[in-house]
Amino acid sequence: MSMIRRILALDGVNVICHFRDDGYLLEGYGLMGRDDMVRLAQFAHDYRRMIQGNADQLAMFTGMRGWTPPHGWVVRGAVQSVCGVGNLVCIVEGADAPMNEILLELREISHW
Amino acid sequence: MATLDELMRLPAAMAAFEFRGSGELLDQRIAYPERINETTLDLLAHMCAANMSIATMQARGWEKVTAMKGFYPIQEFTLVGFDWSVVVSGFRREQLKNEDKTSLPPLMGVVLGNEKADYEAAFAVLEGQEPIP
Repeated sequence: MSMIRRILALDGVNVICHFRDDGYLLEGYGLMGRDDMVRLAQFAHDYRRMIQGNADQLAMFTGMRGWTPPHGWVVRGAVQSVCGVGNLVCIVEGADAPMNEILLELREISHW
Repeated sequence: MATLDELMRLPAAMAAFEFRGSGELLDQRIAYPERINETTLDLLAHMCAANMSIATMQARGWEKVTAMKGFYPIQEFTLVGFDWSVVVSGFRREQLKNEDKTSLPPLMGVVLGNEKADYEAAFAVLEGQEPIP
């Protein structure tokens, strides 16, 4: 069984996807069709690059160390949130989801 | 609504700030001026305002193309950097928009050290759910 599936055991996590460095979906699990997982992987890949650029520019313009390279990002919507760490992205439902634990797990698994 | 002083009581809080939707810094508290200053917070606020707007565009697009709901409106954006994180929120603004208010409060944000960062607590304070003891 793929190790990224264990993320689905955390409260609120409905989808987890692992993508290649070019955004190609390698594997995805959860409550989402394959076509949308392909879209999610490409979105997360683009977003990761954008965040990397933002952090690089912030460091360059301010001289403040400690922002780059960034570990991840969270966009929290009214009911759904999207979290990205490394080449992993997940969709989390509910305001009460254990976001600290989810980010820790994503970070650990992203290093495998 | 959270205050800057409440945000500064979060674990590992380095700075808290208020900013316009267009990114201009309005007010701030800084715990470690040798590490982060007002100029850095101003750029950070502009970066966060841009990301809130981009995420809003993405949420609307995503909901349209997938028929999934619940992403829009965007309430918080978080960047987890190498050592620091920033969490910003427009939660209160969105609430007032829903009430058809035209005068909206500023966005709020907090900079946290990653080692002791508690993102759930940051969301709770920014959304006014619970005071920090």
